[in-house]
Amino acid sequence: MSLLTVEGASRSFGGIAAVNRVSLSLEPGRIYGLIGPNGSGKTTLFNCITGLERLDGGQVRFKGERIDGLKPSRIARQGIGRTFQVIRVFPELTALENLLVVTRGPRAEAERRGRAMLEFVKLERLAGEYAGNLSYGQQKLVEFVRVLMTDPALILLDEPAAGVNRTLLNDLLAAVSRLRDEGRTILLVEHDMKVVMGLCETVFVLDHGEKIAEGPPGLIQADERVIEAYFGR
Amino acid sequence: MTRARGAVLGALAVVVAALVVYPAFGTGYGVRATLQVFMWIALAGSWNLISGLTGYVSFGHVAFFGIGAYAGSILIATAGWSWPLAALGGGIVACVLALVIGYPCLRLKGPYFAIAMLGLNEVLRALVSYFEGLTGGGNGLSLPTLDATTSIYYVMGGLAIAVTAVTYLIITSRFGLRLMTIREDEIAAEAMGIDTFRHKLGAFLLSAAGPGIAGALTARDQGYIEPISVFPLVVTVTMIVMVLFGGKGTVWGPVLGAIALFVIQEIVWARYPYVHPLLFGAIIIAVVLAMPRGVLGLLQLKYRLPRTI
Repeated sequence: MSLLTVEGASRSFGGIAAVNRVSLSLEPGRIYGLIGPNGSGKTTLFNCITGLERLDGGQVRFKGERIDGLKPSRIARQGIGRTFQVIRVFPELTALENLLVVTRGPRAEAERRGRAMLEFVKLERLAGEYAGNLSYGQQKLVEFVRVLMTDPALILLDEPAAGVNRTLLNDLLAAVSRLRDEGRTILLVEHDMKVVMGLCETVFVLDHGEKIAEGPPGLIQADERVIEAYFGR
Repeated sequence: MTRARGAVLGALAVVVAALVVYPAFGTGYGVRATLQVFMWIALAGSWNLISGLTGYVSFGHVAFFGIGAYAGSILIATAGWSWPLAALGGGIVACVLALVIGYPCLRLKGPYFAIAMLGLNEVLRALVSYFEGLTGGGNGLSLPTLDATTSIYYVMGGLAIAVTAVTYLIITSRFGLRLMTIREDEIAAEAMGIDTFRHKLGAFLLSAAGPGIAGALTARDQGYIEPISVFPLVVTVTMIVMVLFGGKGTVWGPVLGAIALFVIQEIVWARYPYVHPLLFGAIIIAVVLAMPRGVLGLLQLKYRLPRTI
């Protein structure tokens, strides 16, 4: 059974069909890419999956259950985590508090896991620092491990590579591969084609809100409709 | 850290002990003024619970004070309850009102919530004036004479302590951190699995209890209430200024703000009654411009102190 199925999802703003009858399905334990020119509907699709936008038509199923129409917090608690294109850490909470705040259950255990996560991204020395005082890259890492604290089965990453230096990027990508090896599913929006081609097993291409292609990265790169969407005819 | 903690707890114990014995030695004015300070600590601390933590600015928080005052007075005058029970009743009625109002209004964002709360206060004042049979309308409501100032002093003091203790417990808990994520970034909080609406509603209920009880106690102490005396916008504004001055989102900010502003107010009120509102306005402007985080907020940031200051 697919982990996530999107069937004919549509969402328009005014007269613009930001997402237009998009269907896709994600299998457990794989890394997927979502690409497309600016304004093609990638982030809106993310928002529709995570409940931040309601659907005008179609449906979303997670582990077989309909999740469209649920509150974002319920969807998140069912096991879908995400990061944002623009960093959204809680600036006046410390790095550790940013992680603690999404946990449930015994506090000591949550704190231990939070510190382990910070160690994992080499930020343990900044545990008590306000997240707003951290550098861009450090905030990006905090946001990344904050998602992991919720132990999600599906992780949506919105441009994880944007504005990240090469070393940090390699660490992030290694971490994403490891998450996949743990059996988690990752769907990532990315403009950096090297990242997409190197990491993803299947790529979906959106253009003007519609899915125009789907397949392994090698084939996608050669697809005429994709080339046309990016470079014009 | 533990030594500092011990010192703070010791100092607090001394202050509380002094306040407990104070009515036996203090002047009538002194006891009454201290009672007022207790009330302001309870009010400012309650406002801090919803607005300081979640960032949802309530511009009508005096509505809970007013409804508590009326509920308490009616319970005493009509139902014949004893005043401590009636005070509890005032708190409960305020919480019920918070539930009814919070349910629709907490779905509003930012300034819309603030304005809805302002409207609530005006509506309540009009309703109370209208239902004369129950409330005495514009003529107000008198309670049987009773000199309970000393007892009310202790109960109000207990309320101030309770509100501050609850604030401490919340701020040091994950529930409190979740409330702060609403202030920091509500959308991210939702996306991280935090049910922001339920958290806001919880904080709002908690923030209504203190003013409800304080309203009933004040009504009993003064023996007479009327719509304009228990629903004045200036009380909400005063709560807000106290919290902003002391430091919003901290434990001791509202306490410091309540004491400092009450003392300033008393001095200015006695000497220059006409410039009193002017001074308040000036303090708001000065605080917002010079230290938007308030005294403790500034210290907290500068010396990296925890929010429990």
